[in-house]
Amino acid sequence: MRLELKDLSFSFAEKLVLKGVSMDVADGEFLGLMGPNGSGKTTLLRCITNFLPGWDGKILVDGKPMVSYTPRSLAKVFAEVPQISSTDFPFTAYDIVMMGRIPHIGSRLEGETRKDMEIVRTSMKRTNTLQFAERHFSELSGGERQRVIIARALAQQPKVLLLDEPTVYLDISGQFEMMDLIRGLNKEERITTVTVLHDINMAARYCDRIALLNEGRLEAIGTPEEVLTQENIQSIYGLDVSVRKDPFTHSVYVMPRSARAPPKRHGARVHVLCGGGTGGPLMRALVENGYSVSTGVLNVLDSDYENATDLRVPVVAEAPFSQIGPESHGENLRMIDDSQVVIVLPFPVGPGNLKNLEAARYAVERGKRVYVFRADREVAYDFVGGRAESFISALTSSGAMEVRSLAQVLTEISRLGGAASA
Amino acid sequence: MLILGGLALLLFLSAFVAILVGTLGPIGPGEPERITFSEAIDSIFSDSTYHWVFWNVRIPRVLLAGLVGAALACSGTAMQAIFRNSMADPFVIGVSSGAALGAAIAGFLGLTSIAGIGLGMPPLFAFITAILAAFTVYVLGSVKGRVYVDTLLLSGVAVAAFLGALVSFSIYLARQQFHQLIFWLLGSLALARWSYVEILLVVVAIGAAVVYLYGRDLDALLLGEETAHNLGANPEPLKKLMLGVSALMAAAAVAFTGVIGFVGLITPHMTRLVMGANHRLLVPAATLSGAIFLIWADTLARTIVTPDELPVGIITALCGGPFFLYLLRRHSMGRES
Amino acid sequence: MESRKAGAFDVKMLAVIGVVVAATVGFTSGYLIGVAKQPETMSIVDDYGRTVKLSGVAERIVSVSPTPTEILFAIGAGSQVVGVDDYSDYPAEANNLTKVGSFTLNEEIIISLNPDLIVCSDLVPRAKLDKLAIEQGIPYFIFATRTMEDVYKDIRLAGGLTGHTTEADQLVTQLQNRVNALTNKTLATGVSKPRVYIEYYPLWTYGPGSFGDDLIRLAGGTNVAANASSEYPELTAEFVIAQDPDIIVYTVGPMTTTTETEIAGRQGWSGMSAVVDDKIYSMDDNLLSRYGPRIVDGLEQLAEMVHPELFS
Repeated sequence: MRLELKDLSFSFAEKLVLKGVSMDVADGEFLGLMGPNGSGKTTLLRCITNFLPGWDGKILVDGKPMVSYTPRSLAKVFAEVPQISSTDFPFTAYDIVMMGRIPHIGSRLEGETRKDMEIVRTSMKRTNTLQFAERHFSELSGGERQRVIIARALAQQPKVLLLDEPTVYLDISGQFEMMDLIRGLNKEERITTVTVLHDINMAARYCDRIALLNEGRLEAIGTPEEVLTQENIQSIYGLDVSVRKDPFTHSVYVMPRSARAPPKRHGARVHVLCGGGTGGPLMRALVENGYSVSTGVLNVLDSDYENATDLRVPVVAEAPFSQIGPESHGENLRMIDDSQVVIVLPFPVGPGNLKNLEAARYAVERGKRVYVFRADREVAYDFVGGRAESFISALTSSGAMEVRSLAQVLTEISRLGGAASA
Repeated sequence: MLILGGLALLLFLSAFVAILVGTLGPIGPGEPERITFSEAIDSIFSDSTYHWVFWNVRIPRVLLAGLVGAALACSGTAMQAIFRNSMADPFVIGVSSGAALGAAIAGFLGLTSIAGIGLGMPPLFAFITAILAAFTVYVLGSVKGRVYVDTLLLSGVAVAAFLGALVSFSIYLARQQFHQLIFWLLGSLALARWSYVEILLVVVAIGAAVVYLYGRDLDALLLGEETAHNLGANPEPLKKLMLGVSALMAAAAVAFTGVIGFVGLITPHMTRLVMGANHRLLVPAATLSGAIFLIWADTLARTIVTPDELPVGIITALCGGPFFLYLLRRHSMGRES
Repeated sequence: MESRKAGAFDVKMLAVIGVVVAATVGFTSGYLIGVAKQPETMSIVDDYGRTVKLSGVAERIVSVSPTPTEILFAIGAGSQVVGVDDYSDYPAEANNLTKVGSFTLNEEIIISLNPDLIVCSDLVPRAKLDKLAIEQGIPYFIFATRTMEDVYKDIRLAGGLTGHTTEADQLVTQLQNRVNALTNKTLATGVSKPRVYIEYYPLWTYGPGSFGDDLIRLAGGTNVAANASSEYPELTAEFVIAQDPDIIVYTVGPMTTTTETEIAGRQGWSGMSAVVDDKIYSMDDNLLSRYGPRIVDGLEQLAEMVHPELFS
C-alpha cells in the first residue's frame, strides 16, 4: 500500500505545525519518522489517519484520496500503535485484540465470527501474547501491553502500520524485542510501516529510510547513511556528534561528541591518557582543583569514557570494539598540542589502544610535561607482549617523570603554577 | 451467554414474586385483609375482588420498577463508557436537576393533578426540562460540534448546581407542596400507571437496543478517542448518539418516578466486575440486573413501613454507601499491592 | 471533507423519531378504565369548586386528613368512616380505625376497605386520589379551610355528605355561639389589641390569609406578621424584635423542642415586651391546625392568653 503526502500543512490554534510536507512511502517500506520534540511527527501521523481533519494538501492512500475513505475503510488500511495504552476497565487482552476486528465485522447485528476469532488467535501467537488472553490488560507489564496492542494492530489486517514511539516506555531488552517484532511483521507480512522514533541509532538499525522533520518541515528523507549526517544532526538537533559505522551491524552509528571547548581555569591544561577505569580518580581530582582536563582516546564502552563525560571532560572517543583509528588518534594528538601537561596512567594496553602510548611519546617529543604512573607490579597491564613496558621505560628515560600517587602528581602540577601557561 | 439467560430468568421470577408481595398479601403484612395465594392467582387471571389491586396497582408498579431500573442501568453503562469513568451515572449531564425543576414548576403552578391529559403535567414538565437541561449541558460541553468529555462533565456540574438552586427556590415558594416534592426528589414508584409502563417500554426497548448495537464501538471508545477513531468507531457521532439515547432513557425514567439514585451508577459497575468490560455482554447484563435490582428495592420500599412506604430512592441510597466503601477498600488494597 | 455517514445513523434517526412519536402520543392521550357506576343521585360542590357525585349518602368514607376526620366524628358520622390516615388521631375512636398511610396513600388498603368516598384537606397530594377516582371510580372531596366561616361551611358540607345535616347544623350553631360570646368581648370597642406573635416552628408563623392570622384577630389581638409576604412566612429575628410583640405563643407538637426559656434566651429578645412581662405561652399544635370543631377550643385558649382580663 503506497502512501503519498503532497504539500501537507496543518495549523493548530493559528500556529502552523506542519509546513508543506511532501513524501512518498513505498509499499512494504519501513520508514522512520524522526525529529526534535515539537517537530510535528505525531501531528503528521494524526493527519494521515484523519484523526485531525482540517489539514491542507493531499494525502493519497493507494492512489486514492484519503478523504474518500469512510472511517471504517480507513481503519482497514491503517493500524496505529500509540506510545502507551492503558485502561482502568477490566478488558482482557483477548478483548483488546478483538477490538482490532471492529472495522471488519459486517453489521452491528453480527457478533464475532469464527474467522475473527482465528485471526485474533493468530495475531496473539505471532506477538507471543496468547498466554495473556484471559488476563486483564491493566495487569500486564508495559512491554506485554505493547505486544498486545501490536497484536490488535495485526488483527486489523492493515496495509499500513503506524507506530508512535512504541519503545519509549520499555526497558532495553523490550525495546529490541519490539523493534525485531515490528521489522519481522514488516518484512514477512509486507505491511508498510511508518514509525516515529527518538532513538537515532535504533532508527538507523531498523529503518529502510528515515524522514527527518524539524519545525513542521521535512528536512531530509533517505537511507540512514544519507540522512544521519553530522551536518543534519547538528543543524536539526543542535548536537555535535560523530557518525560511525557499527562494525557488527554495518548500520550507521551516532555518538555525541564532547560539546564545548574546555573552559580555561587557572593555568595548566592537562591531557590524561587512561582507560579501564584508571583515570577516574585523577580526572576528578584535576577537575576539582580547577584544571582544564581532556582525555582520549577512549573506547565508548570504557568506564573512563563514562567518567570523563560525567565530569564534562572533553574526550576523544572511539567506537566499541574498534581499534583506535587514524581520525581519533589525530584528534588525540591535537588535544595534546593544546595541553601543557600530559599524564599517563597504568591503563591496560592492548593492540587496540597502543596508540595512546605513542601519543605519550609524541607529548614528550613536543616538550610537554609528562607524568607517568608506574604500574602496580601485581596487576597485569601489558597485553602487547612487553611493548607497553618498553614504551613506558622509553618515556621515563626521555624526560617523563615517574610519579607514584595522586597527591604527588597534583603537587607537581601545582608547582608549575604560572610558568605552565605556555 | 448462560449468565444472560440466568439473569432473564431471575428477572422473570423476581417480577412474579414481587407482584405477589404487598400490603394485602399473599406475601406481606396482610393487613387488613390477607389474600391467599389461590385468591391472588385467581385475581390476576379473572375479574374477582382484587383484580384491580393486581392489574392496576401491583403489576404496573413492578413492571415500571423493572423498566426504570433497566433504563437507568443501561443509561449509566453508556455514560460510563462515554466519560471513560466508572463513577459516571445517568444524571451526570443534568437530567435529574432538570427534571426536578420541571416537577417543581408544575407543583408551583398547582398542576399536580394527573386527571385529564393522559399522563399528567408533572411527568410532561419534568421530561421536557430534563431534556432541555441535558441539551444545555451538551451545548456547553461542545466546541464547534466536537464533544469534549471533560468539559461536558464540568458543564454538567455547573448546570446541575444552577438548576438545583432554582429547584430549592421553587420548593421555598411552593412550601405547601413540600412533602410532595421531597417524595419526587427521593424517587418513588408510588404513582405507577400503565401509560407510564407503555411509554417506558418503548423508550427502553429502543434505547437499550441502540446501546447494545454500538457495544463494540463503546469498547473502543473506552480506550481513548484516538484509538476509537483508528479502529473505525468514529467517536464524534458515537458520543452524540450515546449521550442522546442515554439522556432520553434517564429523562423518561426520572419523569415518572422522580430521581432514583445509585441504580445507574452501581449496576453497570458491579456487572462489569462479573462480566468484564465487553459491552456486547455488559449492556444486556447490566440492563437486566438494573431491572432486578429496582424491583427488589421497590418491593422493600413498599413493605418495610406498611402502611406507609419509603421513597425507593432511600433504599437505593442505602445500598450506595456500602458500595462506595467496598470500592474504597478494593482501591486501597490495589494500592498496597 | 466529509466522510460518508454509515447506514447506522439512519437507524439513529428512526429511533429518535420513534421515541418522540411514542412519547407524544403517550403524553397526550388519556388512559381510562371504565368502572360500572351506580346512578348518581347526589352532587355536592367541594371547596375547590369540584362537583362530586355520589349515589347516595356516603356510608364508607376514608378520610386522609385529620381535619375532615375530626369533623365527621363531631357530627356523629364516625360509624361511616372506615379508614383514616396515620395522623388522624382524634378522637380516640378514629385512632383505632384502619390506617391507610400518610404522604403516600396505600391504594391496596384503601381498595380493600371498599370506600364510596374519600375526603381530604387541600394539602394532600392529589395524584393518587386522581388515580383512584379515574380508575376505580372512587370520588374524593376536598376541604380547604381558611377561616371560621369555612369551618362552619365544611361542617355543613360534611353533614350533607353523610346524611347528618341536623347534627351538623346543631354543631355549627354551638360553635357560632361560643365564638360570638368570645368576640363580643374581644372585639368590643375600646378593647386593646395586643401584639401577638404565634410560632409553630422557630421563626415560622401565620401570615395574612392563614387561619392562624384570622384566629389572632378573633381573639382580639394584632398579628405581628399581618403584613408578611405569604401565608406561612419565615420571619427574621430582627423583624420580630422590631415588632415587639406583647404576647408570644408557641405551639407544641410531637417534634417540638422549643421551650419558654429558650425563647426568652434568644439573642436580642430579652428586651421584648412579651419576655419582660413573662407572657410566653404554649399551646397544643393541633388546636390551631385542625380546622374542625376543636379550632374553637384553640381560639378560646388563645383569647384567654391575649385578654386574660376579659376571661377570669
